[in-house]
Amino acid sequence: MAESNQQGCLFVGEGVVLKGNFAVPDIASISGTIEGEISAKQVIVESTGTIRGKVTGEMIDIRGEVVEYLSATQSLIIRSSGKVSGAIHYSELEIEKGGHIHGDLHIIDPSRS
Amino acid sequence: MFSKKPPLPDEEEAVVDPFSMSEEDSVQFSIEPATPAPRVLTKPSIISEGFEFVGTITSEGTLNISGSVKGKITARLVLVDVEGQVEGELNADSLMIKGRVVGDVQCQDLNVGPRAFVDGNISYQNIHIQRGGKIAGKFIKN
Repeated sequence: MAESNQQGCLFVGEGVVLKGNFAVPDIASISGTIEGEISAKQVIVESTGTIRGKVTGEMIDIRGEVVEYLSATQSLIIRSSGKVSGAIHYSELEIEKGGHIHGDLHIIDPSRS
Repeated sequence: MFSKKPPLPDEEEAVVDPFSMSEEDSVQFSIEPATPAPRVLTKPSIISEGFEFVGTITSEGTLNISGSVKGKITARLVLVDVEGQVEGELNADSLMIKGRVVGDVQCQDLNVGPRAFVDGNISYQNIHIQRGGKIAGKFIKN
């Protein structure tokens, strides 16, 4: 899925630690660690990836760990190796068997609120 | 002649307890047969569509809910079917939600179907949410 020279994409390799705020127009694929805020169209946290801070995106796919805040406006998928804790906002959710979730879940529903 | 005698008492002892294979277990054999197999799965209890129940339900077995329940439910296996609605406290070992649940949920295995709606505090050990399931509230993993 992730080619090496795509425009508007961020790839964080395993072992890499980034701190700060990141705005990614397209795909953010995280195998390393991010501390801070990240917003992207699509966020993929690989099994070795960790994000501590705020994550926002349309489609979020988690095989690693996300701590603190997560907001997915379209779809949120937590795979069996995924761990999420903190405040979670989503409009469509899937959790595979084995996935961890700890915290407050909120549904983003523009038609109701 | 005499050399053949010692083995005999051993054999007799083995015949005395027909329930156990080995002689060492023979001490406890008298207790179990009194109670018939305790883990027999009985038929599920069913709250059918259109049935409205208010109160407390306790079951050691399976409970299928297609109707509406307000109150406290404790059972080993609970299925809240597509038309099912539960308002109140829900305790189960294994819980499958296809319908609507509002209230506190406590279970070991939680499975939420694609068209389900769950709102409340949820404490669980294993979770599986199928795509499209709507869940709001506080999640606590045991």
